[in-house]
Amino acid sequence: MEIKRLKKPLCFILMLVMCLGISFENGTGVSAQVKTEGDIKVAKNVYSSDTLPEINGHNVVAENDRFVLYMLEDDLSVIVLDKETGAYMESSPSYDDEKNNKTWTAAMKSALVLTMINKSTDTKQADLINDQVTKKITYTNTGFEAVIYWTKYKFGMTLKVNLTEDGLTAFIPDESIIEDGTDYYIGTISIYPFMGTSYLDQKEGYMFIPDGNGAIIYLDNKEGRFNSGYSTLIYGDDIGFTESTTANLLWDRYETLNETNKILAPIYGLAHTDDKLAFLAIIENGAERASIEARPNGISVDYNRVYAKFIERKIYTQPTSNNTSSGSLHLTEESRSHSDLKIRYIFLNGDDANYCGMATAYRDYLLENGSLVKGLDNSFRTRVDFMGTERENWLLGTKAVVMTTTEDIKEIFADLESLGVKDILSVYKGWQSGGLLNLPIAKYKADSKIGGTKELTALIKDAEEKGIKLYLYNNALVINPDEHSSTFSAVKKVNKKKYEEATYKDVYDKLMYLIPAKSETTLEKFVKSYTKSGVKNLCVAGVSNTLFSYFNSGNFYTRFDSKNVYDELTATVSEKTSLVLEQPFEYLWSDTEAFLDMPVYVSNFVYEDDSVPFLSIVLKGVMPVYGEYINFEANKSEYFLKLIETGIFPSFYITKKSSSELIYTNSADIYSSEYSVYRDTIKSYYDELKKVSDLTEGAFICGHEIEEGGLRVITYTNGVKIYINYGLQTVTKDDLKIGSMSYKVVK
Amino acid sequence: MKKTKVKILSSLLLLLLMIGLTGKSTKVLADAPYKTYTIDGYGDTIETQTAYLPYGSINKIGDEFMKSPTDFTILDDGCMYILDSGNKRVLVSDMEGNFIASFGEDLFVKPRGMYVSKDHICYVADRDAKSIFVFDENYKLIHTYTRPTEALYGETQDFLPIKIVANDAGTMYVVCESNTNGIVEISPVDDGTFLGYFGTNSTNATLWTIIWRAILTDAQRAKMIGNIPATPDNLAIDDKGIIYTVTRGEGSESLKRLNIAGSNMIEPDRCDDVPAAVAVGNHDNVYVVSQMGYIYKYNNEGELLFVFGGSDDGLQRIGLTVKAIAIQVDKNDKVYVLDEDKAEILIYETTEFANNLHKALFLFSKGRYLESEEPLRDVLKMNNLFDYANMAMGRTLYKQELYEEALHYARLAKDMSGYSDSFWEIRNTWLKSNLATVIVIIIVVWAVLKILGYLDRRLRIFEKPRKVLSKLLDLKYIKQVRYMFFFMKHPIDGCYGIKRQGMVSVTSANIVLALGIIFYIINKYFSGFLIKGTTVKEGNYDIFYDAGTILIGLVLIVGCNYLMCTINDGEGKLKSIYCSFIYSFAPYLVITPVIFALSHVVTNNEIFFIEFGRLFMWTWVAILVFVSIREINNFKVSETFKIIGLTIFTILIACLLAFIVYVLWAQVIDFIQAICGEVVYKIGN
Repeated sequence: MEIKRLKKPLCFILMLVMCLGISFENGTGVSAQVKTEGDIKVAKNVYSSDTLPEINGHNVVAENDRFVLYMLEDDLSVIVLDKETGAYMESSPSYDDEKNNKTWTAAMKSALVLTMINKSTDTKQADLINDQVTKKITYTNTGFEAVIYWTKYKFGMTLKVNLTEDGLTAFIPDESIIEDGTDYYIGTISIYPFMGTSYLDQKEGYMFIPDGNGAIIYLDNKEGRFNSGYSTLIYGDDIGFTESTTANLLWDRYETLNETNKILAPIYGLAHTDDKLAFLAIIENGAERASIEARPNGISVDYNRVYAKFIERKIYTQPTSNNTSSGSLHLTEESRSHSDLKIRYIFLNGDDANYCGMATAYRDYLLENGSLVKGLDNSFRTRVDFMGTERENWLLGTKAVVMTTTEDIKEIFADLESLGVKDILSVYKGWQSGGLLNLPIAKYKADSKIGGTKELTALIKDAEEKGIKLYLYNNALVINPDEHSSTFSAVKKVNKKKYEEATYKDVYDKLMYLIPAKSETTLEKFVKSYTKSGVKNLCVAGVSNTLFSYFNSGNFYTRFDSKNVYDELTATVSEKTSLVLEQPFEYLWSDTEAFLDMPVYVSNFVYEDDSVPFLSIVLKGVMPVYGEYINFEANKSEYFLKLIETGIFPSFYITKKSSSELIYTNSADIYSSEYSVYRDTIKSYYDELKKVSDLTEGAFICGHEIEEGGLRVITYTNGVKIYINYGLQTVTKDDLKIGSMSYKVVK
Repeated sequence: MKKTKVKILSSLLLLLLMIGLTGKSTKVLADAPYKTYTIDGYGDTIETQTAYLPYGSINKIGDEFMKSPTDFTILDDGCMYILDSGNKRVLVSDMEGNFIASFGEDLFVKPRGMYVSKDHICYVADRDAKSIFVFDENYKLIHTYTRPTEALYGETQDFLPIKIVANDAGTMYVVCESNTNGIVEISPVDDGTFLGYFGTNSTNATLWTIIWRAILTDAQRAKMIGNIPATPDNLAIDDKGIIYTVTRGEGSESLKRLNIAGSNMIEPDRCDDVPAAVAVGNHDNVYVVSQMGYIYKYNNEGELLFVFGGSDDGLQRIGLTVKAIAIQVDKNDKVYVLDEDKAEILIYETTEFANNLHKALFLFSKGRYLESEEPLRDVLKMNNLFDYANMAMGRTLYKQELYEEALHYARLAKDMSGYSDSFWEIRNTWLKSNLATVIVIIIVVWAVLKILGYLDRRLRIFEKPRKVLSKLLDLKYIKQVRYMFFFMKHPIDGCYGIKRQGMVSVTSANIVLALGIIFYIINKYFSGFLIKGTTVKEGNYDIFYDAGTILIGLVLIVGCNYLMCTINDGEGKLKSIYCSFIYSFAPYLVITPVIFALSHVVTNNEIFFIEFGRLFMWTWVAILVFVSIREINNFKVSETFKIIGLTIFTILIACLLAFIVYVLWAQVIDFIQAICGEVVYKIGN
């Protein structure tokens, strides 16, 4: 029966085999798969090393134990073939639906796709097919090097592609990028934008994008429903370039949209689940100024693609007067950003060819190169943060609104202990003299209203003895222009205007950012005076998850510059203190003892089909990860299940006094935080989550499946399995009945 | 063979299922991309928990895509009718987006509105066909109504129906484009009888329009835009047959609930400028969606509970719209919004927070105060700044005679009458328990004073202190300030004293002024909560602004008055005009402290005392000002009136001048800045 079914395709393969004169190594026969894809047929063979068939005109340029690299000289497009299964991924689609114009066809085939800046336009495309290009290709043992020069536009670069043990790297050295002309400048560079592409739903699988904790877009036919895809700058937007837009405000004043999640790690991926082949792409260099782009089929062309776009130069608006309506110029950045551009593709096959495998590969990669360190205390703790004081307007100035004093915290800790809640991590916000927004903090001086410096020091020490880690919160990024002079220390955008963040609140109506060098000096000063008192628990925010270009005393600085400063700063601070960072970017993960404010959800883009706990899988078992505050979650039961699924520890924002006291302060959006309200919730979350967490302590997540009916199954390396049912009906799986909105743990 | 078949079949099924899941109706599990706001007692906007989460969307009915749909109706039996205007048809589906039927393909020209009654009678308003088509439950055309022939309809009036609803009796309420007379009410009797116009919007006449009307000719007057009432944009009908309309740009009358007589019974506290549609949900909650995609939820009294949603900023996030055009609510409180541009129905479901709130407010509105306390506490746990819950909590506690707590919640919610009631009770209790003590204290104090007076008369024990005091009072400036007491009682003599006898100095006037400003500020910000009302917000202090306004006003008035007096042969010097003007405010300094003290003990019942006090005070001040202008300049009464008129006129001119100078200078400065800026950047590059 089996043979009958395979008759036709087998004939086809036989013909193919005969033509190429292939001799099979395995005498047991071939389990060849043939897949019909529209009107073309692709045969996939178990690869044997004596034969090197060309694929779609691509020739073999390198091979190692696991992979073969093919390349086509015309457009430098590549194919990576997995020797074990014979499946491959191509960087230019072999199937042409003949619906695409010249520009798109070139974009799909070309190894490099650039956009150029010419006067005030920045959308024109440069590629290797439609433009006059000189190419000098040299072959190396592991791949090739191509020196490329666009003769008309007078710029060029060298692309180095190497096959590695785990996949492929594509590399453009910074010094190889040359711009000789004065008319055309390089705007953006995309390397292999169609790597792993597929046409409509011809392949099963998904694209992985690093939105929130992680999101996937299935490779099904989207029927042209979307007109734009995912396009997000890695490590957050650049405030140095943002124009102050006033669109979409409710009643002309209120921002109604929540910000989308920042990309915390420079990664993306693609999996062909039918071929059991996937890759995880890591942007090793140039991520500070690059975006992740994902386009499901139907957006301009019917091919699915996910890639990184490196930004070299941008056009910005230079207003010439304070009145925005009266005039502005469009200027191009004077110099391009200087950095190597490098993407590492880690190919995965078999059971690893999925997002869980990608996350595991990424974890291994980070551990190997030291971006993650083992040996952190991973035991379960519940995070209970406190707010000290805030300010409200009063007659000529402001007056303190005292929310939680050191004495209160002592009592709360004692009370929690009596409830059995012992393992606590706590961040104290607004402890400093002058309240929460008296920023920056350059000295260790607590507000007298919370008990003063001595009391605070004593509190931290006492807590430490009880096993509670109490960290002082220091936002080293923000300066409050109403409390401190911002003339020489606030960040100016590239158009030389000060960056102002409107708060839409009554007490302080705007906040600004500190120049990175100033952040460095103030924070270091603070650390010095803080550690002198014998305590060293510190929580740093702001600089941990912000990057921007800026202008300062005659010079332009890039995101690479601000990253370097912040990187160095946290490294030195982490040596002197016990440091935790708020939602840190990937390059800071080695400096923090815990990850605070891990997003649980995605940004709700229509093209996102599912959310996956990607970052949780990466970090679980390596670093303790704490979520965002539960206070402000509207669907608490769903959020609780999310915590179980992702292994994220819970976080609460607590005040002793009722949060209604904050009504006239800048923290008026904290509408629920009173301890007496949350006392029982903290305990019940603690009890339940600790039970689950203790079972999985020290283990990694090694499996995560999305099943029918809202069921998700998580497997840990120590064999523990967690079943979570988000659906409305009871689901049966592995002889277990999991009720609606509940979970089960099996050891 | 069989096995493979089963395999293929099952994979096909799976595929179908997947298509079903992704193609038609998608359920999401995530956070909201928008913020949710509510408003507090001052009408200010504050953020709150997500009340509605995007639940999913329907962009396909069976295999049929929609094209510019403009209206839809959801019935309680799980049936959904969509007016697929671009394809000129009505699509019928279930709530999952499975195709049931389509009709009207050959009939419609440009259908814009639709209504489906509970028994599946479907009314379609077709603008370009100038007709209303009625279909029965089997989708058969049963009636076509065209332009009413009655004279009352208006001879030249065209019939361009765009939105329609009908009541149980089949009477249709039709919004017609460019028909400004109101909603057209048509009865099904005799193949369509025009019953009249209904719920006409009003035009409002400002002072300016009245003046203009007086000046303009009849022809010009007829063209004035303000004369024409706005046509409603959309309408809805509830189970009781009450009509709701939304009209753009009508301020707080943008949303109306019209009774049978066509008069408005609702006054929403905040409205959108461009509402697109309205729907009525459970417990008479009203939902309005604006064209921008903001969804407003009001309770049955028109108090805004939530605003959420918004327009897509191009990032394509679930739950955001491009052009919202219709809204529906089902019996489970799920909200459905139709997006014309995206040709999609967005579905929102309530969160735990909203469910709690609904429950609490329902109990509260039914007067079940005791029961509502528990859910209210739950809501306030999740958000203890939620205004409406605070108000309800205050009222509930008041009913339970827990006045102190009720007072706290009423103050948070700025619920003046609730606060007043609780305060009255607290004061009452206090008085009851302390009245005796107070009387005793008063008697004791009175007795002590009497005794001391007696002793003083006999033994002169207060001789020394009295001397010190009188010395103190005789100090130059103190004496001059004290002159105001004399001035307010004897303004004519007082003016003489200022003008001729040098009884006051500029310094003493400045001291009085400073005192006045201080009194003003204290009174403004520290009066009792009820007296401050909603105009002076707690936690807001604009002291420089207050003092600045007073000083600028003073300079303008005194300056202009002086100018006018001098050119009209007034005798007054600047100094005496200034001093007499300041001293005329003596009653303010004397009476304000009394009002201030009273403001802390009165409730709404006795607020009359304060209002009367204020009136008395300002009348006195006005008389003093008048008398002093007359006396200082030696004018006649008629001349004084003239001077006052002239002074006001001069002030207006001065303001106008200042404004013009400011605008011109701003332009010039901006221009110079722009040039410099451009030169700098051009050279720089």
